Amino acid sequence: MKVTVNGTVLDLASGTSAIDAVFAAGFDVPYFCSQEYMSPIGACRMCLAKVGAPRKDRDGSWIVDDETGEPKIFHFPTMMATCTTAIMEGMVIDTLSQDVKDAQNGMVEFTLINHPLDCPVCDKGGACELQDRAYEYGTGRSRFAFDKRHQEKHHPLSDLITLDRERCIHCKRCVRYFEEVPGDEVLDFIDRGGHTYIGTLEDGLPSNFTGNITDICPVGALLDATSRFRGRNWEYDHTFTTSLDDASGSAIVVDARTGRIERVKSGLNPEVNKSWIDDGIRFGHEYVDHADRVRRPLLRKGERFETVSWDEAAAFIAERLRGLSGKDVGIAVRADATLEEGVAARALAEHLGTGQVDHAPRHGRTLVPVHGATLVDVATADAIIVLGDVSEELPALDLRIKDALKGVTPPPLLPHGVPIADLRLKERMPRASERLTVVAAYRVDLMRHAGHTVTVPVGGEATWLEAMTAVAHGERVDEAALAMSRADAEALIASWRDADKAVMILGGFVLASAAATAAADALGKAVGARQVRVPPMANGLGLEVTGVLPSHARYDYRHMLAGGARALLLSGLDPAQDPALAERLRGCELLVVHDMFMTATAEIAHVVLPAASGFEKDGTTLSLEGRYLPVRAAPVDGGEARDLTGVVKSLGEAFGQRLEGRSVRSARRVLRKQLGFEPSELDRLGLLQPLPKVRASVTVTTDEEATGEALRVPTMVRPEYLAYNPHLRAALGDPALRLHPDDAAERDLRTGDGVTVSVDGVPRRLRVVVSDAAPRGVPLVPATPDAPVGRAVVDLDALEVDRRALEVA
Amino acid sequence: MSVLDIAKGMGVTLSHLFKKPVTVRYPDEKVQIKARFRGRHHLLRHPDTGLEKCIGCSLCAAACPAYAIYVEAAENDPENPTSAGERYASIYEINMLRCIFCGFCEEACPTGAVVLGHEFELADFRYQDFVYGKEDMLVGVKGSKWQRREAAAKGQEVRVAFEAPGRPELEGVDY
Repeated sequence: MKVTVNGTVLDLASGTSAIDAVFAAGFDVPYFCSQEYMSPIGACRMCLAKVGAPRKDRDGSWIVDDETGEPKIFHFPTMMATCTTAIMEGMVIDTLSQDVKDAQNGMVEFTLINHPLDCPVCDKGGACELQDRAYEYGTGRSRFAFDKRHQEKHHPLSDLITLDRERCIHCKRCVRYFEEVPGDEVLDFIDRGGHTYIGTLEDGLPSNFTGNITDICPVGALLDATSRFRGRNWEYDHTFTTSLDDASGSAIVVDARTGRIERVKSGLNPEVNKSWIDDGIRFGHEYVDHADRVRRPLLRKGERFETVSWDEAAAFIAERLRGLSGKDVGIAVRADATLEEGVAARALAEHLGTGQVDHAPRHGRTLVPVHGATLVDVATADAIIVLGDVSEELPALDLRIKDALKGVTPPPLLPHGVPIADLRLKERMPRASERLTVVAAYRVDLMRHAGHTVTVPVGGEATWLEAMTAVAHGERVDEAALAMSRADAEALIASWRDADKAVMILGGFVLASAAATAAADALGKAVGARQVRVPPMANGLGLEVTGVLPSHARYDYRHMLAGGARALLLSGLDPAQDPALAERLRGCELLVVHDMFMTATAEIAHVVLPAASGFEKDGTTLSLEGRYLPVRAAPVDGGEARDLTGVVKSLGEAFGQRLEGRSVRSARRVLRKQLGFEPSELDRLGLLQPLPKVRASVTVTTDEEATGEALRVPTMVRPEYLAYNPHLRAALGDPALRLHPDDAAERDLRTGDGVTVSVDGVPRRLRVVVSDAAPRGVPLVPATPDAPVGRAVVDLDALEVDRRALEVA
Repeated sequence: MSVLDIAKGMGVTLSHLFKKPVTVRYPDEKVQIKARFRGRHHLLRHPDTGLEKCIGCSLCAAACPAYAIYVEAAENDPENPTSAGERYASIYEINMLRCIFCGFCEEACPTGAVVLGHEFELADFRYQDFVYGKEDMLVGVKGSKWQRREAAAKGQEVRVAFEAPGRPELEGVDY
């Protein structure tokens, strides 16, 4: 469609909004209420422009202006809000005339009538849309001589978000966001007219994605409580990086000041997280600046640790290793290490001559599906089968699934980026919930949005998948195994088969079991569904693909701990929470722990090396869809903390060797050869590459199927760091032991009771949450990197109620 | 240049011989300072409530061409506030070695909290002693860090060797 914006003629697709036409032509209009990926509603009336279009006569020909001979332009009688106006053939948009300027400046004056103008104390000051627009489009004066509206200035919407009701300009972005994006309607306008305010009837904001409203608020009404008054916007160093919190590869912006991370904001990656991140990523950064962090290498001297230099620590390790044969050494890295750190681990293993190198947590199965799906595939799928709790395991995936239910394909990018007003999006759109099937052993959050929900018994995924595959092949099955009638199952299978794009999402519960994974593959093949496999940690797929794996399945991490290694280098892992393993590890001739905190394993180690957090290292990560993404170091003061390449550099110097992977640059030389592209040249959007076939013999370990009637369930926040994240901890409480009301009543337990419970022999201090999400007899405990998602043995009868906690209460 | 010009010039010189000298026997005698002289900063308080005027907005630091100011803000305890409103400066530091006494901070301040006073006797020995914190600049503190140290050591009052007429912006500052 031909559109003329201030004399510039453009050819745009039908359905484009007028505001996008203006921006595409390189002009600007102010706006507060429109927001990328959300419905335009024309609430703020800021994007006014003079709009006109030619009209057709009854005979279908254009009405022609007699003077010029051109089609006559009929202007709308008033200024139009361009965000809610769709373009028409021959439309003429004027944003520069005096009339438009007067209208915009009148709107600025109106908007500022009740705005307190306390910019000097506002955390948004300097990055505020209202401030910028008032400066660009306002006259700088007000005729309003009366008292401004006075409302609550410090209203904690939750422990993580503070609302200043005076500053609110009623753009409705936050209200629409909750309904449209995560589908959790927890905020709304209350009262009318000038008294309107934002409020919630809930206790806090029960959603996993609340923090995004602080990004989209055009004024300083909604603010991140973790960064409240921590600095002004121009004082922060912005680092555009990728979150290593989960495997989504979500783009984030880390704002640091004077060596501290003050806040994490969402970055924009249209094909991955769009501009949304979950609260675990946004608010779970305070551990990085925690006072308890190990900041210098520690060397054991008798019962105590002594602070030493890196050189001394490396010399000690090299000396101890000299007395050991190479194959006695085990090296294990946590699966959120970067690819560069993986190269370093491999290089060290190669130098020592050991095949015992692994990453953990790792499922016994490969994370590379036969027919993989990307996040865009998920967002455009018309049949989605979710096995597990993706809302907690990989929240970005949860939002992409909800996109698919809306049935609106991702918008094509315009010259100015993501469309500001996508007219296909509406408030309260119908969701095609019948497209979504959620299968889990307990009630997961995504079930609220699913048309079909299946609750399987603990560990029953394999049986259910096999039964569905049998139905797909027309074989006889027991209806009990299907958890639905045969006719329903057949209808469901038919809907998957008929779908243009069916996607199956395998969570940790499936991948933890060989039988379930095989059954999922079979069902996927039978109905023609592509697969997304959720890695247990951020870079699990990357470390697998680049081969940070034992030389033989027998030499895996579990084997190392069980006695395969006499010397161990553990990066980020804490197996000694298990008293049996701690006893075993005490017998090691050398135990080196590379971690951020004094974990149980660090306490018994010979050497503790300070590790860099995911915000302090440069590197590359591979997200679950096979997208290589850059990880960039924010200016954070981590003391002498180094990543694994730094460890290998020190050790190499102590050995008198220049090992590959001694620096990020050196590791990237190896990666460039292996991957065929230059990792340092990756841009923020990353590089989506087909995944290589994996040596199946290496990734498949012969583990016996797990048992136990309890479940270790994924959580959005990282439980291992919760104690070091004061704001998140205040908001969410300590890691939860979720119990069915009957189970809790039997043992006289109430929500909030502190308990110590043995999970697979590992004592854990948890907080009881009575919840009917947990099935009867199935306690739910949070999974940790050292005890990933899967089945567990929890004896509720041997549970100890924390006396101290009770006394305090 | 004629002889007349030389004579004129000598005449000017001669006339000054009979005037009162402008030289002051500093520091025994006090220097008279003009009202607009810009010296060490003062952090002011609201005279009625005694609350600090500074709200920790960091605009002075943003305006500072020498990057001499560092501010960290915190939230007021509603029961026992430090400043009016929600926010106050928990750390307010000016590095007097970096400061060029341009007065931009004073111009940028939305509450008139930071005002350049008349003190210029800031000489000291160690770098860290040139970094003035809130405790060194809040209204009521007289003299530079060194002067106060000397006075404390000798058990005397802080003595500054200048006199200034003051100006209205320096609310509550008494020289």
